[in-house]
Amino acid sequence: MAGASWEMHTFLVVSAAIAFVFLVAMLYLAETTTVATRGYEAQRLVQQRDELRRQNSLLEVESARLDAPARIDAEAKKIGLVRVATIPVVQLEPITAKR
Amino acid sequence: MTETVSPRRLRAIFALFACATLLLTLRVGYWQTLGRGELLESATDQVRSDLVLAAQRGVIRDRSGALLATTVPLRSLYAIPKRIGDHEARASASAKLAPLLGTTSDAVLAALESGAEWLYLRRRLPEDTSRAIESLAIPGLGFESEPKRLYPNDTIGAHVLGFVNDDGLGQYGIEGKYDPVLRGIPGRLVVERDPRDRDLAVGLRTARAPLDGADLDLTIDLVIQTSVERWLREAMQKEKATSGTAIVLDPRDGAVLALASYPTYDPAAVARSDPQALMDRAVSWTYEPGSTMKAFTIAAAIDQHVVTPNTTYDDKGYAIIGGRRLSNALGKAYGISTVTQILEHSANAGAVFVGQRLGAEQLRSYLLGFGFGAPTAIDVSAEATGDVRPLAEWYPVDLGTISFGQGIAVTPIQLAAAYAAIANGGTLYRPYVVATRRDADGEHRTAPVAVRRPITAETAATLRTMLTSTVDNGIANGASIPRFSVAGKTGTAQIPSDDGRYLDDAYVSSFAGFVPANDPRFVVVLVLERPESRLLGTVTAMNAFRGIALDALRTARVQPDRP
Repeated sequence: MAGASWEMHTFLVVSAAIAFVFLVAMLYLAETTTVATRGYEAQRLVQQRDELRRQNSLLEVESARLDAPARIDAEAKKIGLVRVATIPVVQLEPITAKR
Repeated sequence: MTETVSPRRLRAIFALFACATLLLTLRVGYWQTLGRGELLESATDQVRSDLVLAAQRGVIRDRSGALLATTVPLRSLYAIPKRIGDHEARASASAKLAPLLGTTSDAVLAALESGAEWLYLRRRLPEDTSRAIESLAIPGLGFESEPKRLYPNDTIGAHVLGFVNDDGLGQYGIEGKYDPVLRGIPGRLVVERDPRDRDLAVGLRTARAPLDGADLDLTIDLVIQTSVERWLREAMQKEKATSGTAIVLDPRDGAVLALASYPTYDPAAVARSDPQALMDRAVSWTYEPGSTMKAFTIAAAIDQHVVTPNTTYDDKGYAIIGGRRLSNALGKAYGISTVTQILEHSANAGAVFVGQRLGAEQLRSYLLGFGFGAPTAIDVSAEATGDVRPLAEWYPVDLGTISFGQGIAVTPIQLAAAYAAIANGGTLYRPYVVATRRDADGEHRTAPVAVRRPITAETAATLRTMLTSTVDNGIANGASIPRFSVAGKTGTAQIPSDDGRYLDDAYVSSFAGFVPANDPRFVVVLVLERPESRLLGTVTAMNAFRGIALDALRTARVQPDRP
C-alpha cells in the first residue's frame, strides 16, 4: 500500500513537472511569437508612417508650387489681369488731425 | 553451426566507434566553446543587414516661411531582366514602359538586354509616373526610394540657393556654403532579417539614429526675389545683354532680400544647364563699375572736408591728369558746376577734380573702407575679391580714372553693400543671406555684423541728399518713382580688353540706388553686361530699378514720403 502511494506521488510530481515545463515552454513560444508579430506590425507601421510623411512632403512641395508668385503672376496674365500702375495710399496724419 | 565474432574484432569495432564518438564530441565541444564566435558570425552574416540610415537634408525657406528647397524621397525604377521573361516579354514590357518614361521602346529594350542582372531604368521618377508604372504590374520591375532635392519655385532664386548633385553634395549658393550644416549625419541600423527581408523584432539589433540636417530660414523675400528676376529678365531680353545681375539689400542690417543672376539655370535639372549659367554674377563676377563709383569719391572728399556739395569747378568737358586727357561722356562741357552737379551730370572731369583734391592715398583708403578690394564675407559660395590695386601700382592717371570707376574691379554685392553704408548713415554691414538656422540644439539667429564706419553720419546724410538730387534733377531722373524719394546713380563703364585697352563698342550699364531716400529701406543694384543700346543701357537699368523698387515698396507696404 505504501509502495503504491509512493508510485502515485512520484507520478504526480513528474507529471506536474512535465506540465510546468510544457507550460513555460508554451508561454515562452507565445511570447516570442507575439514579439515577432508585433515587430512585423511595427515595421509595417513605420513604413506606413514614412510613406505618409513622403506624401505629406510631396503635398507641401505641390502647395509651394501653387503658391509661387511667379506662377500666380503667369496665371493672372493668362486671364487678362494687369499690374496696377499706382496704388492709392490714404495718409493717416490729416485724418487723425481732424478728429 | 553458429558463427561468432572474435573478441579481437569486437574490440576493434568498439575502439573505432569510441574514437569516432570522441572526435565528434571534441568537434562539437570546439564549436560550442572556442569556435562559437566564428560559427555565430557565419550564421549571423546570413541574416544580418547593416544599413546606413540617410539623414534628412535640411529645408530652406524664405523670410516669410515660403518653401524654397526640400528633400523628398522619390521612387527609382529598377529592373531584373531575367525575372521579366524571354525576349518577347521584355519587348512587351519595353513597349508599355517607353511612353511613361518618355523614351523609345528600343531604348528600354536595349537596357533590358544589356546583360546586366540588375539595373536602374530611371531614377527619381515623378510620383504620377511611378504610380502608372506600378499599376502595370510587370514582373521583374521594382522601386527603390532615393532622396531628391526639389525647388518648388523652379528657377527663382537659383543662384542664391545653389543645388545638390547626384551624390547628395551641395554645390554653389547656400546649398554649397552650408552643405555640412544642411547635410546632417547619417545613422546606422544593424538588424537581423527573415527570409522575406523583413526586420526581426527579436535578436541582434544595433541602431544609431541619423542626425537630420539643420533647416535654414533665409533673408530672401520670395515676392521681391520673383519681382527682381522678372525685371532683370525683361531688361536682359530688351537689351540682349550677355549677362546681368540684380541685388536688393536691406541697408539697416545688410540682409539680402533678393539676389538674381542671368543667365540662370534650373537647380533641379543642372545637367541640362549651360555651365556658364551656374556662375552667380552678383558675388563671383568682377567688373569695372564706372560712374556708380563717383558717389564714393565724393563721399570721401566730403568726409575729408576737401570739398562741399557747393564747391565749384569749371567743367571744360575734360580733365588733364598724368599727361592724359579724360573726357566726359560724349565730350559734353558743363561750365561752372558744383560738386552736386558732378553727380547730376555724371561728369568724369568733375570726378577727376574731386579725386585730385582728395589725393590717391586717401581715395584708395576710402575705397578699401567701403569694402572694395576684399570679400564682403557674404554667406554664399565662391565670392570674388575685386581689385583695388596697391598704391605703388597706380600711374598718375589712375587717380583720375579710379575717381569715376575705371581701373578698379568690384563685385555687384560689394557695390550694394557700399551703397547701403551711404543709405544707413555710414555703417558698412556684412551682407548675409541666412537669417536663422534650426537644428537639434534649437534656433540660432544670425546677428547683423557692422564691419566699420567708412564715413560719418553727416557725410552719409549729405550724400543721400546729393544722390536724391541726381534722381530728381539729374541724369538718373529715369529712376524716379512718383510720391517716393529716390537716391541713386547711373554707371556706364567701358570693358577692358585682353590687350589692356578698352573695347570701343561694349559697355557695362548699371544703376545703384536706394528708396525711400529719406529713410532707406531698400538698396537696389542692377548691372547689365554689354547691352545692345550701349550708352543708353542705363535707361533700361533705371527702368528695371524703378520696377524692382516699386514692387519692394509695395510688398513691404512702405508709405509714400512725398505728396
